[in-house]
Amino acid sequence: MSEAVLSVENLSLRYRVPGGTVAALRNVSLAVRQGEVLGIAGESGCGKSTLASAMIDLMGANAEITSGAVCLNGCDILSLPRAERRRLRGREIAMVFQDPMTAFSPVLTVGAQLVDFQFNLDGVTGREKWSRARDMLARVGLSDPDLAMGRFPHELSGGMRQRAAIAAALLMRPAVLIADEPTTALDVTMEAQIVHLLRELQADYQCAIVIVTHHLGVIAELCDRVAVMYAGEVVEEAPVDALYHDPRHPYTRALLSCDPAGIEAATGRLPAIGGRLPDLSDLPPGCTFAARCGIATDRCRTVPPPCVALGPDRSALCHEVAP
Amino acid sequence: MTALLSIRDVSVVLPTGGWFGGAAPLNILAGVTLDLMPGETLGLVGESGSGKTTLARAILGLQPISAGRVRFDGRDLIHSAGFKAIRPRTALMFQDATASLSPRMTVGDAVTEPFSIHGVAVRNHRDKAAELLAEVGLPPEMATRYPHELSGGQARRVGVARALALKPALVIADEPTAGLDVSVQAEILNLMADLKDRHGLSYLIITHNLALVRHVADRIAVLYLGRLVETGPTRAIFAEPRHPYTQSLIAAEPKPDPRKRRADLAIRGEIPSILRRPKGCEFHTRCPLAEDICRTTPPALKELGYGRSVRCHFTETTTEGGRHELEH
Amino acid sequence: MSSGGKFRVLRALLSDPMGALGLILVLLFVAMALFAPWVAPADPIKLNVMEKFQPPSLSHLAGTDQLGRDLLSRIIFGARTALSIALTSVGLAGLGGLILGMIAGFGPRWLDALLVLAFDSMSSLPMIMFALAVITIVGPGTGTLILVVVLVSIPAYARLIRAQTLSLAGADFIVAERAMGASSARILFRHLLPNVVGPLVILLSMDVPIVIMLEAGLSYLNLGVRPPTPSWGNILYDGYTSIRAAPYMVLIAGLPLVLSTLGFTFLGEGLRDALDPKLRRGAAR
Repeated sequence: MSEAVLSVENLSLRYRVPGGTVAALRNVSLAVRQGEVLGIAGESGCGKSTLASAMIDLMGANAEITSGAVCLNGCDILSLPRAERRRLRGREIAMVFQDPMTAFSPVLTVGAQLVDFQFNLDGVTGREKWSRARDMLARVGLSDPDLAMGRFPHELSGGMRQRAAIAAALLMRPAVLIADEPTTALDVTMEAQIVHLLRELQADYQCAIVIVTHHLGVIAELCDRVAVMYAGEVVEEAPVDALYHDPRHPYTRALLSCDPAGIEAATGRLPAIGGRLPDLSDLPPGCTFAARCGIATDRCRTVPPPCVALGPDRSALCHEVAP
Repeated sequence: MTALLSIRDVSVVLPTGGWFGGAAPLNILAGVTLDLMPGETLGLVGESGSGKTTLARAILGLQPISAGRVRFDGRDLIHSAGFKAIRPRTALMFQDATASLSPRMTVGDAVTEPFSIHGVAVRNHRDKAAELLAEVGLPPEMATRYPHELSGGQARRVGVARALALKPALVIADEPTAGLDVSVQAEILNLMADLKDRHGLSYLIITHNLALVRHVADRIAVLYLGRLVETGPTRAIFAEPRHPYTQSLIAAEPKPDPRKRRADLAIRGEIPSILRRPKGCEFHTRCPLAEDICRTTPPALKELGYGRSVRCHFTETTTEGGRHELEH
Repeated sequence: MSSGGKFRVLRALLSDPMGALGLILVLLFVAMALFAPWVAPADPIKLNVMEKFQPPSLSHLAGTDQLGRDLLSRIIFGARTALSIALTSVGLAGLGGLILGMIAGFGPRWLDALLVLAFDSMSSLPMIMFALAVITIVGPGTGTLILVVVLVSIPAYARLIRAQTLSLAGADFIVAERAMGASSARILFRHLLPNVVGPLVILLSMDVPIVIMLEAGLSYLNLGVRPPTPSWGNILYDGYTSIRAAPYMVLIAGLPLVLSTLGFTFLGEGLRDALDPKLRRGAAR
């Protein structure tokens, strides 16, 4: 098993809000290895997007890291000077966002921007940068890359823009690609194409990919390993097959059982998870899922659950799970 | 049984500008025919740009119809007066529930607004609001909130409460669970199903989420570029989709099971722009089965029996064998 | 419900230090204008040439002018002139702009095109030239000033309201109202009006000092309020002409202009935040 390219160690992060703080991430530890696709699954408010932005060191101004480290090839990037950190972004770690429109400036052509993204590539002429950009657009499946280079972002369709955004992210051959909800804004048919594209690119470039999404189908299609987040914590981590076929944490089980795509028989009533997410500015003393959990005991409501190792690459944050 | 809603050859054509009116008009909907029976849930499926939302607005008279007609409960809706008369009996739920609520109006005022619009006397607005909110599982305190203070699921429930205030016969729901988490999505769908049972509603659910329609719809209609390409009972369509587009849509849906990963893609490319409708069968540019006839001759909607119809030249070959081909 | 809503806006306004300061300054000037005869220590137009050019002292807190009139009293009565002109004209212009803007934004397209053409031709006229032309025709005076301000400001307000109305007319909540069968009047008054009026109130509040300045400027040019009626512009003019004999006069006459400008601007900015329910803090969450 190869070394971790990017690892998050015991990371805790909170947001300062008027009248207090919100514990967005608590003791999160994760690692992604070279050539591996890690999925981060969870519902809105679970902290998955905060984790993604912490990985690329793009937190909001009101975010405050209270403990932990984000290590790229063993080196803590959060302790580096600001200029060093900025050099890593785009070159070593790249990001693809949910809305591809925001990845490009609306007033410049796609080609001009793709050339400009290579600004810190030394000893390469402008013409070479242009042809690199063009080739990358062809590689991500734009049927007429020369035409697309001259287009403005709004002139491309949503699917083409997302492809172009992926091309922009891969231009510098990053070691890690982080994709935050890369298919959420797209139609099913386009979603399937982007999922396939990411799979192909991963095979070609052997970079590590982190996919952050609420869509369990996308994770099943694409990922090798999955981390399930709930209320700012990773509650279960497992290889993809084990997670879908033998989920151990009660939240993972509930989440999988809710997905209408996973229910074979047509049914008028679907299972739901009762209750709601705990208030992240005033967390309960014990397990954060206890209030919605079917098997919670008094201990769950008072004592924070331990992280139980369940075999190689598997763990769950639960009192009631047996190793 | 007569249909509650019957749509016949409805087209929506928008004129495009230009100095001499030279640009080709946009036909967003091209001759759509559909029926919705009382108590039935019809799922209207298609990618963005397929005309789903335009159809919903056309049915309610919010979008002028260029050709064809809409009948509601046996009455022709031709003039705006006709549409006005059915307003208390129809309701529209929006994709963005928060944006569909007036931003400076409290939730309580919003859910009781249909009564004031239609001059229905309400003894006590506060009690009525609490009653409507209770029906969708929201506490009465919610009545004093403003739309931006609601979570996605709560805004959705308020939208349902307002839609049901006047006990309509038909509810049109545009992407009723868009942007919701799976656990909340199930709550909203179950709520809609409960209310349907309790009040005998008919739903027209517009969505691109196939997993969702499979569970909630009795029948499905698939739209492609503003044209109906396949209709039929949900179970039959999912068991054996006959139009290559329906087949691709079903195949494109990612399954939450890593053991069912797809080796290859059923569909490539994107839905063409409505400004450049392909000639012949409009799906031929993306269809794996397309042949010469598809590029020249538009296929007609063929009845297959059992309430199914398909718009394809190769209806006979699009069964098992065709699908097999699609998957490889 | 609505009174509770108003109090909430007031509370939000007062919780913002700048907004509270603006409100206090504005209320101070309004009170000064309303109670001028009781507050002013002397008659603002009574001449006393014996006591001309008196620097500020205990008997004349702000000194006297070239005709020996009490400056403080003149400023207090000047507030009356300034505010009555500014508030009336801005209020009328705001109302006109609101009505025309909503008609343009929500009415038929041909009417919109016509109104926009009218707004554009109106605002293509240079304001001072237009003011001078109207004054030449109608003659100087308070009524003329108000007329000029109303005519000149309506296009700007109407355009703001039109843009707001247009962008909201296609919004989901307006389509939702139409789908529920709401009449045009209901949509206009219950849904569009409350959502477009906020920005206008802010703009109006920030425009009040501009009109005060315009009044002062035209009066300074002897084209506005006729002497001996006290006006801040007249006082400034007097101060300027006798700047060698009494340099304090210019400063004292400028002070209310500066303070009222700040007051109305702060109030406008405070209102912008207080009126927006999304920025309101402390509301039920």
